Amino acid sequence: MKHAGILGLAAGCALLTATALGVQSQVDRAAVRLKTGAVDADKPKVAIANDADAPYCTPAFKTVLERVLHACGLTGTDARRGCQPADVKSLAQISDDDFNALFTPLKSRGAVILFDDGSEKLDDAGRKVIEDLWTDRRGARYFFVVARASKTGTPDFNRALSHKRANSVLFLLSDKFKEPDLDKQVGLLWLGNEFAQLGKDYCDWNVSRGKQKCSAEAINRSAFVSWVDCQL
Amino acid sequence: MAMSGAMSGVRHRWPAALALVAALLGLTFGALSSLDYIQHLDRQVHDVHCSYVPGLGAEPSADNACRVAMYSPYAAIFRDRFWGGVPISLFAVGAFGFFAAFALYLLLGGRSAPRRALLFLAVFATTPLLASILMGTISALKLGHFCKTCVGIYVSSALLAVGALAAWVQSRREAAAPPRYGAPPPAPRAGSGAVPPTLIEDPERTAVDREPTFRPDGPFWLVPLWALALGVFASVPALLYVSALPSYTNYLGSCGKLEKPAETTGALIHVPPARGAVQPATLFVDPLCPTCKALHQRLATEGVMDKLDLTVVLFPLDSDCNWMLDRAVHPGSCLVSKAILCSDHRAMQVLEWAYDRQDDILTAARAGAGLANVHAMIRERWPGLETCMESKETKLRLDHMLRYIINNHLQVSTPQMFLGETRLCDEDTDMGLSYTVRRLAPLTRSSQ
Repeated sequence: MKHAGILGLAAGCALLTATALGVQSQVDRAAVRLKTGAVDADKPKVAIANDADAPYCTPAFKTVLERVLHACGLTGTDARRGCQPADVKSLAQISDDDFNALFTPLKSRGAVILFDDGSEKLDDAGRKVIEDLWTDRRGARYFFVVARASKTGTPDFNRALSHKRANSVLFLLSDKFKEPDLDKQVGLLWLGNEFAQLGKDYCDWNVSRGKQKCSAEAINRSAFVSWVDCQL
Repeated sequence: MAMSGAMSGVRHRWPAALALVAALLGLTFGALSSLDYIQHLDRQVHDVHCSYVPGLGAEPSADNACRVAMYSPYAAIFRDRFWGGVPISLFAVGAFGFFAAFALYLLLGGRSAPRRALLFLAVFATTPLLASILMGTISALKLGHFCKTCVGIYVSSALLAVGALAAWVQSRREAAAPPRYGAPPPAPRAGSGAVPPTLIEDPERTAVDREPTFRPDGPFWLVPLWALALGVFASVPALLYVSALPSYTNYLGSCGKLEKPAETTGALIHVPPARGAVQPATLFVDPLCPTCKALHQRLATEGVMDKLDLTVVLFPLDSDCNWMLDRAVHPGSCLVSKAILCSDHRAMQVLEWAYDRQDDILTAARAGAGLANVHAMIRERWPGLETCMESKETKLRLDHMLRYIINNHLQVSTPQMFLGETRLCDEDTDMGLSYTVRRLAPLTRSSQ
């Protein structure tokens, strides 16, 4: 064909022009989408990492938990840790039975550490239970220690004793695990003998000295310990 | 006689026709590949074409082989200078466009097209084939995937080379064969260079066959002109692409920061840095997540990994140990994570083993015996980790890692990479990785 060269050249120019225009227009369109975020809406929502939120975290449970955490210095910048029984009474604003009932769902997550009469010393069984429990943290944000004393003795003595028992647990955790932000993880309550005494049915829980040595009086010479798997 | 003449015309034109078809096919595959690449310049995720049939098979899936190829460092050049780099498919589009036009010229010109044109085509049309061989080798050895669109380009390149070489061989045969009609042409005059076409009239010859019996050599100066034209064709799309690219400066580093970078329990894995690697980086990965594996490979291939003072945080998307999930996205991931934690200085080796055997481990975890299979695989390859993996300390360490993620309010998603305390947006961890690292991590630049 006579004009093959011209036709080839024309075809080449057409292809080059089409390619150039195509590239330019596609890049321009992408730039517009980039500026306007045109397809942002199609992005799937991604969850944010958070603490576990177990079914027992009912609104009532969370209300008490939140008040206790706040007042006991586990939230915010307040350095205070621990609450006295009077504080707890005013914070919880519920009866002793209802207060204890809130912790009932923690049976599979918690344990009761028994102490000798008038003593705050942890025995080996108590230490083991606490250490085991601490390492089984999973997604829990807070570790609660609720120490009590039996009715024997004066309220002041028992208040001080239950405070020492709570601290015994805390010191063990501090010595053993050396976690720097323990202050913001462990909530201490010392209830003395005035508030929310435990019934003998708590002997069915994971008790450090076993069921045999657990009595109605012994169960209150104790520290209840548990992780709390609730989001606040 | 007329029939045989027509047959002869078709016979000697088929190489040019093949080259034309191959070039058009290559142009189509190259254009689709470029289009997919350009679409992603908006930093969103789009479907990617991946089919042997041009235009079909656009898929959204993350493990689409064409997406793997597109995100790989081999898909583009100058990746550290431009966000996403300049896709090599753009050069292919330009080159195939040139070869399509050139093959059309040869097809229409028949024997009047000069011999030098055929020689030029034979030499230069093999370059796409050589490039295809190189890219195919990289696909096989480095990526482990063959992207169908890329295979389309490889096949087109091969057909183009076959057509071009066949045309050249045919012209050599024509030159060697005795003339079919009339006397041989007169010898060229000294210095003329070209042989004038000789037309021997034969009443029985058809129009198709009515063309010069002897192919002219053609002037030599055409060769550099064609080469220049090829260069222009190949580079114009890429130059236009670069000139039209939007600015990405405002988008880099806009995806958050590590709120509490310090971790005091020593739970995180600090990888011993290579000599001179001072750029701190934190990588949140799930050992059984394919995207994490791909990012790991990209970091290694692009030479970024060696420049990082890296901390690895394991984030298994497996409900066996991760309370943030109600099901195991990657079953077995908790076990593998524990194996990594128990491996001390070999932690990265175990992580890389998990990446290598990812499909096998996931298949084993989903099979009948479930996690016992994964246990067995770990025991076989990394004996001696069993006791540590089952210890409370390891469980607690993994919990601490997950708590670190919570304290930093990170998304439940892997991988996530932080350069210093600045998070790399997901969009910047594939096509834009080199560009983003170069800008957000100046310490990697100084050691380049």
